Amino acid sequence: MTQTETACLRPSTTQDVADIIMDAAAAGHTLAVTGNGTRRGFGNPVAASRELTLGGLDQVVFYDPEDLVIRAGVGLTLDELESMLAQKGQYLPFEPPRYTGLYGTDGQRSTLGGAVATALSGPRRILSGAVRDFVLGVEGVNGQGDVFKAGGRTMKNVTGYDLSKLVTGACGTLAALTTVTIKVLPAPRAELTLVLPASTLEEDRALFEKIRALPLGVGGLARRVAVDGKCEVVIRVEGTVPGVAGNRQVLEALLPTPPRVVEQEESQALWRDIRELSCLAPKADELVWRVNLPATAMPAFVDEARKAGCINRFFVDWAGGIVFSTMRGVQPEVDALRYRKMAEKIGARAMILRAPDSIRSQFGAFPPVAAGVAALEQRTRAAFDPAGIFNPGRMTVQA
Amino acid sequence: MQMPEPSQDIMNQREALAVALRQIVGQEWVISDEAERRPYQCDGITAYMAMPLLVVLPGSAAEVQQILRFCHAKGIKVVPRGSGTSLSGGALPLEDGILLVTSRLCNVLEVDAANRVARLQPGVPNIKISEAVQHLGLCYMPDPSSQLISTIGGNVAENAGGVHCLKYGVTANHILGLEAVLMTGEVIRLGGAYLGAAEGEMDLMGVLTGSEGLLAMVTEIAVRLEPVPEVARVISMSFASVEQACACVGAIVGAGIIPAGLEFMDRKVLDAVSVLIRETFDSNTAALLLCELDGTAVEVDALVDVVSDVARTQGAIETKVSTTEEERQRIWSSRKLAFSAIGKLCPDYYCTDGTIPRNKLPEVLNKMADMSVKYGLDYANCFHAGDGNLHPIIMYDAAKPGDLEKAEAFGADVLIACVDAGGVLSGEHGVGVEKRDLMTHQFTDIDLNQQQMVKCAFDPAELLNPGKVFPTACRCAEFGRMHVRNGVVRFPDIPRF
Ligand SMILES: Cc1cc2nc3c(=O)[nH]c(=O)nc-3n(C[C@@H](O)[C@H](O)[C@H](O)COP(=O)(O)OP(=O)(O)OC[C@H]3O[C@@H](n4cnc5c(N)ncnc54)[C@H](O)[C@@H]3O)c2cc1C
Ligand SMILES: Cc1cc2nc3c(=O)[nH]c(=O)nc-3n(C[C@H](O)[C@H](O)[C@H](O)COP(=O)(O)OP(=O)(O)OC[C@H]3O[C@@H](n4cnc5c(N)ncnc54)[C@H](O)[C@@H]3O)c2cc1C
Repeated sequence: MTQTETACLRPSTTQDVADIIMDAAAAGHTLAVTGNGTRRGFGNPVAASRELTLGGLDQVVFYDPEDLVIRAGVGLTLDELESMLAQKGQYLPFEPPRYTGLYGTDGQRSTLGGAVATALSGPRRILSGAVRDFVLGVEGVNGQGDVFKAGGRTMKNVTGYDLSKLVTGACGTLAALTTVTIKVLPAPRAELTLVLPASTLEEDRALFEKIRALPLGVGGLARRVAVDGKCEVVIRVEGTVPGVAGNRQVLEALLPTPPRVVEQEESQALWRDIRELSCLAPKADELVWRVNLPATAMPAFVDEARKAGCINRFFVDWAGGIVFSTMRGVQPEVDALRYRKMAEKIGARAMILRAPDSIRSQFGAFPPVAAGVAALEQRTRAAFDPAGIFNPGRMTVQA
Repeated sequence: MQMPEPSQDIMNQREALAVALRQIVGQEWVISDEAERRPYQCDGITAYMAMPLLVVLPGSAAEVQQILRFCHAKGIKVVPRGSGTSLSGGALPLEDGILLVTSRLCNVLEVDAANRVARLQPGVPNIKISEAVQHLGLCYMPDPSSQLISTIGGNVAENAGGVHCLKYGVTANHILGLEAVLMTGEVIRLGGAYLGAAEGEMDLMGVLTGSEGLLAMVTEIAVRLEPVPEVARVISMSFASVEQACACVGAIVGAGIIPAGLEFMDRKVLDAVSVLIRETFDSNTAALLLCELDGTAVEVDALVDVVSDVARTQGAIETKVSTTEEERQRIWSSRKLAFSAIGKLCPDYYCTDGTIPRNKLPEVLNKMADMSVKYGLDYANCFHAGDGNLHPIIMYDAAKPGDLEKAEAFGADVLIACVDAGGVLSGEHGVGVEKRDLMTHQFTDIDLNQQQMVKCAFDPAELLNPGKVFPTACRCAEFGRMHVRNGVVRFPDIPRF
């Protein structure tokens, strides 16, 4: 490597990653760890002296469809990964969103490592689980340049601490991940979505509750804003062909009005839109929020936040358990603080998905945690990266 | 198996400590009498025993906090215990440590049907969760075979699995929130009582789950509830060879089906249970698979057809499909009785827990046959085939000198074979003391160091359940420093940045 191409380091082997980190540690440099950098806007802004880009580690180590497992370099793009799985009739059940529409970056370049580091799960979370539930093992390099592995390739594993879960969602603040082992599943053979006009938030939430209480394997329950500006409830049914047909009948009998039915590719496109928050269509100066909360608390929360001017446009996913919303960029400091307070009052977790750097630095993109937990997180971080060279400030706010 | 040398000094303080701890939990909840401490000497592995210094039974999370703060100040070790069904010696007492037992913390604190969550104290037996929500058509999915007795706290600590975890996942996949007390007495709350409550938080909950009581004492758990599947049907498939049965496991999953459960039993197990269930198995049968499919009636019927086809193609001698709930229960009874049936064949048995990639099943099962000859001990196989989780049952006679050691060596060889096949030492029972000294076979020193550094973040004094999981102590004080590799930087003269 020459001095001129230095600001961004792009290794393609684990050993090179280790060498770079060891040298950085010795030289007292800090590193902004990225995949292909498509989601730099997620989390808090990072102040680091160098950038370590892991997009070059994009090899598949093995894919064993019969064993439902794949191990690949963190730089493999999600698009490539998903199309490889699709060829064998398999998929990533946690449906990782890219959110690149929010950041104006290229979603086709979003990486597997980025999906694990951000731990963002899509609409199927209510049925199939989160990213963390599918990460079976990792290999990574800690802040001292040590290459370590954790977990394995089997679904069941209680052998030592589950460091794979710990690094999932740590936004690259614990280690530079180099390979990830993921559990995959057979993709459902059939899929359709029932669409009906929305009612009040409370009535729609109650409908979600009723549907979720039935063992129908419904893998998507959202209330979104349709193209025409009207709100609609969408219900995704997946499974075998006869299973889906049967579940459709059961659901139709339960719904207040006969639904419109959207099938296969059209249904997939609809849920891709929901996954990518398309219906929010935030304006350039608007902030975007993602709030997790008990579904039962959702209607009152949304109502209050809208009255207070903290929500401009919004939609609801996860059967009412998550609210995505935009916030006007007129007085973001004031509104961000008020919205967080509102969320905290009911034990909700309000995450900023997009905001100017200054706002994310000041308030933190992630909802604040209690002091004791924050201190434990800090000690845990030091256990991996004692000198704090990885992504300084990514998950924490300086007081 | 060696445990850290107990401190005579602390053992001498037993009565004084009992007095102090009684002030926290009340007179009757500290057991110091030797005869009353005896039942707590071991957990599910009776081969390892130690008399706890004292047995303490707190009645609230606040008491747990006070006990830990007290023990931390005095430098007293603490071993958490639920029901003591651990099969790895995780709850094995220490002679110079107190056993902190959750039996009195056994309340279901809240059932929130609308948000499909239950909040529990750690001592709630697993089965009580499903019982508490049954009337709502809901259940708690992870179902270890020990579910009548084992506690949710113990399940969290061992990340317990069960027959249905192939489709529904293990304990870690069902925990939404945890309250835990660090050794210092500090209370931490992670996640919460709804789906997504831990979003944006470092996944400390993930690392606490399966940490075998070494990181913190869990005092409250919020779990996900699921609707009870409408129907379940089981298919029993018999094969003339173990290889064919193994191939069928791969073929079912390969056909895009994730059964609710997929269990394997070999001929020895079948012969043992046939007496108990008064049923005979075809004499050509070398192995039997039980495949459970659940969901809606239409869905299950469709899956039953596919699996039956797969079984035929894979050369099954006979397939039986349950058509009623009674039939389903009857077919399962052979699996449920397997371990007690084997227990009637031999004075003692020893069961390990290695897990391997499914396609390595024939290879590792063949190796086991060789090991049996090598050690001169009989064995039987009955395990969770769908997730490659082996439970070889090694038969021995503790009264025969050297037999236990042979059984342990046999078990260790099986576990090593599992790791060599790309698997792990433990699928669901945990490492405890049983597999502790084999950890270096699965992990490098660096891997183990990294795990132990996490221990230092939670319990730097190393007072919580020491001597378990890791073959050596952490030496947290030393870890605090950056290790300098003799000051060597590769190619120091070449500018890298
Ligand atoms: C300006 C505006 C923007 C909206 N944006 C979204 C959106 O981004 N996503 C979405 O899902 N839905 C949106 N809606 C639809 C909203 O009207 C739904 O009613 C909403 O989902 C709240 O329903 P609710 O169950 O709280 O009951 P509601 O009875 O609808 O009441 C909720 C609150 O919204 C106010 N409100 C509802 N409708 C109107 C209206 N037409 N004019 C003025 N105030 C009204 C009510 O006064 C009340 O304070 C929007 C409505 C308005 C007026
Ligand atoms: C017949 C039988 C069948 C079994 N079947 C299965 C099975 O199918 N699947 C499976 O996974 N396991 C199985 N097991 C193993 C065992 O039941 C599980 O590991 C169970 O989770 C242990 O729960 P327990 O309450 O008995 O915990 P204990 O044995 O008392 O303790 C286990 C570990 O957890 C720690 N611990 C307990 N409570 C807490 C707490 N509140 N906070 C922190 N740490 C704590 C202890 O220190 C110890 O390390 C079986 C055991 C038996 C005897």
